[in-house]
Amino acid sequence: MPRPLALAVPEGRARPAPPREALAVAILAALAALCPFLLGWISLAPNRLLSPRPVALPMQAGTGIAVACFLTGCLGMVLLSRRGRGLPWAELSAALAFAGLLGAIGLGAGAVLGEAPRMARAMPAAGFWLAVLLLALGAGSCAAGRGATPSRFLALAVVGGGLLLALGLLDGLSVVREGQARGEELRTALVGHLALAGGALGLALLVALPLGLLALRQPRLEMALMTLANGFQVVPSIALFGLLMAPLASLATTWPALRSWGIGGIGAAPATLGIAAYLLLPLASGLLAGLRVAPPALVDAARGQGMTPWQILLRLRLPLGLGVILGGLRLAAVQAVGLATLAALIGGGGLGRLVFQGIGQLAADLILLGVMPVVALSLLVDAGLAALQARLGAAGSPGR
Amino acid sequence: MRRPGLAGLGVNLAGFLLALWAAPRLPGLWRALFPEIARPVWESQGWFALLFEHLLLALGAAALATLIGLGAGIACTRGAGRRLRPVFDAAFALAQAIPPVAVIALALPLLGFGAAPTLLALVLYSALPVMRSTVTGLDAVPATVLDAARGLGMGSGRILARVELPLALPVIQAGLRVAVVLAIATTAVGAVAGAQCLGTPIVTGLANGNTAWVLQGAVFTAWLALIADQALRLGLAPPR
Amino acid sequence: MIRFEGVTRRYGERAAVDHVTLEVAKGRLCVLLGESGSGKSTLLRMVNRLAEPSAGRVLLRGRDVAGIEPETLRRGIGYVIQSVGLFPHWQVAENIATVPRLLGWETGRIATRVDALLALVGLDPARFRDRYPHELSGGQAQRVGLARALAADPPVLLMDEPFSALDPGTRRDLQRELRRIHGETGKTILFVTHDVEEALALADLLAVLEDGRLIAQGRPAQVMEQDGERSVRRLFGEESMAFHRLATLPAQALAQPEDAEDDLPVLPAGASLKQALLLMLELGADRVAVLPDGPHGGGTLYWADLVRAA
Repeated sequence: MPRPLALAVPEGRARPAPPREALAVAILAALAALCPFLLGWISLAPNRLLSPRPVALPMQAGTGIAVACFLTGCLGMVLLSRRGRGLPWAELSAALAFAGLLGAIGLGAGAVLGEAPRMARAMPAAGFWLAVLLLALGAGSCAAGRGATPSRFLALAVVGGGLLLALGLLDGLSVVREGQARGEELRTALVGHLALAGGALGLALLVALPLGLLALRQPRLEMALMTLANGFQVVPSIALFGLLMAPLASLATTWPALRSWGIGGIGAAPATLGIAAYLLLPLASGLLAGLRVAPPALVDAARGQGMTPWQILLRLRLPLGLGVILGGLRLAAVQAVGLATLAALIGGGGLGRLVFQGIGQLAADLILLGVMPVVALSLLVDAGLAALQARLGAAGSPGR
Repeated sequence: MRRPGLAGLGVNLAGFLLALWAAPRLPGLWRALFPEIARPVWESQGWFALLFEHLLLALGAAALATLIGLGAGIACTRGAGRRLRPVFDAAFALAQAIPPVAVIALALPLLGFGAAPTLLALVLYSALPVMRSTVTGLDAVPATVLDAARGLGMGSGRILARVELPLALPVIQAGLRVAVVLAIATTAVGAVAGAQCLGTPIVTGLANGNTAWVLQGAVFTAWLALIADQALRLGLAPPR
Repeated sequence: MIRFEGVTRRYGERAAVDHVTLEVAKGRLCVLLGESGSGKSTLLRMVNRLAEPSAGRVLLRGRDVAGIEPETLRRGIGYVIQSVGLFPHWQVAENIATVPRLLGWETGRIATRVDALLALVGLDPARFRDRYPHELSGGQAQRVGLARALAADPPVLLMDEPFSALDPGTRRDLQRELRRIHGETGKTILFVTHDVEEALALADLLAVLEDGRLIAQGRPAQVMEQDGERSVRRLFGEESMAFHRLATLPAQALAQPEDAEDDLPVLPAGASLKQALLLMLELGADRVAVLPDGPHGGGTLYWADLVRAA
C-alpha cells in the first residue's frame, strides 16, 4: 500500500495519527465513566419481594480507592488508545476500570447493608450494568483490528473478579449471597453444563469430521450433508429438543435397557443429541471451507510432485486451512455453551436449571447466578479459541 | 428453477395451514399416539392465534432490526461514521458470544413477563447480522466502480442508491435471511419468558409433563421456520 | 524417452486429445504448441498420470506409465506449472526439498542439493533459501519452481506454460536460462506453450496441436517449411511466416566464408537470421559480420542472401 501522506512528513518529526479505534474507545470510556454517577452504583431492596431502589455509594477509604481505579482505568483507555501501539494497553486499562467498578459496588454493598434491615438485599444498579457493557464494547473496539475478541480484557477481568470474590470484597452483593447459599447446586450445574457442551461438541466432531473429509471428494454427499446441517440450524432449538423427546421416550419404553444408558425422552442424552445437531453446520462448513483454502493449482502442483492424497491433506490442506477450520470450531463451541442453557428445559441439567428456576420465581439473583457463568464461559471459550486461531492460523500462512 | 420452487413453497404452506386447522380436530390421533396422557389435545389457545402472534413478533422485530441494521451499516461505512465502526464490530463479536436466551433471561427482571424481553433480544440479534452484511456488502464494492461513478459526476447519495446498494444487495439479502430465521427461532425461545407464540405449547407441555403438547408445538414451530427459510431462499435469491 | 502411441482422451463426446503419436528422444526439448483447448496440456498431464488416456498408451523409457503407481511415477518426473504452485506456508528451501523429502533423503544431502539448485537457477542460496514464496517476484518464484522440479534429478521435466504469466523481459531471461540448464543437465523436457516466439526460441522438436490432433512435428525449421498445412500457417500468423522461419535458422548457415571487413557490425555467436535481420534494419546496414561458432566458420552475411532465405 502506498502511503503518500507518510512520505510528506519530515523524518524524525513524524507523529503517527491516532488509530481508527481512538474516537470510538474515547466515547465509550467517557460514557462508561459517567454511567454509574448518573444512573446509580447500587440498589437496595428492603426484602426479597419489594423492588430495589438506587442508593448513594457510601464514601469510605475502600470505595474511594475502587472508584479512583475505575476512573483511572477509563481515563487510561482514552489516553492509551491515541496510539496504535497503545491499544493493547488500553484494553488492559478497561480491565482495571472493570475491577475498580466491581470493587466499588462490592465494598459499597457491604457498607450499605451494615446500616440496613437484616432482610435487605443489595444489588448492582442500572449504571453499573451499562458501564460494564460500555467497558466491554470499549475493550472490544480496542481489539477490533485483530478480530474484535478482547481476550486480554476478558482474561484480566475474570482474574480480577475472581480475586475480589476470593477476598470476600463482593460478599455484600445479593447475587454472591445467593451463590454462597447454593454453592453445591452451582458447582453441579457448572459441571453439568460443561459436560453437555463438551459432549455435544465431541459427538458433532465425531460425525462432522469423517463426513466432511468424504464430502470433499463427493459433491452429492456434500450437498446432502450441508442440506441436513442447514435444516437443523433453521429449526428453533426449543422445537428440536421437543421433537427429540417423543421418539426417544418411546424408544426407551420399547427397550427398557436403553434407559439404563441414560437414553430417554428427558435428560442429558436428548439434550446432547439436540445440541450436537446444531453444531454440524459450523463444524462441517468450516472444515470444508478450510480444506478448500489451498487453491486447485496448488493441489495440482502437489499431485504433480508425487504427494499422496493423504500427504496433500496433512501437509497442504490442513496447515493452510487451519485458521478457517478453527473458526468453525470456535463458532460451534460458543453455540454449544449457549445451547446447553436450554437443555434444562428437558431435564438435561446445566446452568439453565438455575436460569429457568429464576425465571419461574422471577428471582433476578437466581437468573444472574445462572446467566453470568454462561456468558463468562462463552466469552472465554470464544476468546480462547480466537487466540488459538490467531496463533495457529498465522503459522499456517506466514506474512499474511 | 423459480417456478417449481414457488409451487413447492405453496404446497408446503398449504400443508402447514391444513395441519394447524386439523390439529385440534383429531383427538383420536393424539390419544393413539400418547395413550398415557389424559389431555393430549392442545386447546388453551387457537393455533392460528399463536401463529399470528409468533409472526407479528418475529417479523415486526425483523423489520425494525432491518431499519436499524441497514442504517447503522450505511452510516459506519462513510464519513465520520467510519470511526465508530470498531464499536459495531465489537458489539457483533460480543453478541455472537452471548446466547439469546441469556439476554431474554437478563431482561426479564427489568422488563417483566411477556413479549418485551423477547422483543429486545429479537431486535438486538436480528439487527446485527443485517448491519454486518450491509457493511460487508458495501465494503466489497470495488473502488474502481466508485471511482468511475464519481468520474461520471454522480453525487454521493446517488452513488449509494444507484451503485453501492444494488451491488451490495446479494450480501445484504443473505444477512436479512439470517436475521429473519434467527428472529423466528428466538421468538420460540421467548415462550420461556411468557411471550405468546408457537413455542408456548412446548414450554407449557414441558412444565406439565405433557409430551403431546410439546410435540405439537415443536412440529409447528419447526415447520414454520423451515417454510420461512424456504420462502426467503426463493424471494431473496440473488438475481442470476 | 517419452513415447505417445495413438493416445486419445475423451471428455464426454469431445476428444481433448485425438490419436496422437509422438516420440521424444532422450535429451530433447520438445515444445507442444497450440492454442488454448488444443489438448496440449492434457497430453502433457498424461505423462505423469494427472490425466489418463481413454485409448492408446504413454511409454516412459519403454514402460507403459499406466503400470507405474502414480505417486512413484510423479516423484521421478519434474513438474512446473504456470501458477508456479509454491506452497505458501513453506520457505523456499522446504519447497525445493519437497520431492527429496518424499523420497526420504537425509537432511545433509537435501541441504547441499537445495543450494546447488538455487545456484543453478541463478538465485543466491544465502539470500533466497529462507524466504517465503510471497517475498519473491514472479520470475524468482518460477526459478524456484524450476529448481523444485529438478530437485530429485529426474530425467524428465514436464513444463506447463511455465513462463506465460511473466512479463516479456523476465520471460526472455527465463527462456535463456532454461536453454542453458537444458544444455548443462541434458534433461528430456516436454514444454507446453501457446506463444509462437517462445516455442521457436526453445524447441529442438516442435509438435503443433489443433483440436486435439497433432498437425505438424519436427525440427522448428522443418515445421516452418510445411507451408501446405493451412492451420500451421494460421497459428504462426500468415503475414509473419517469413519472420518466424528466419528465427529458426542460424546466421552462420548463410554467411559467406570470407574475412569480414573490420568496421562491420558484429552479430553475436549463435544468433539466428531473425536477429541478423533486426540488426541490419536497426543500423541500416546491408551486411554484418558473423562470428565463428562450433562447426560453422565465421564470415559475412549479406542482405540479399537473407532476403532470398525468407
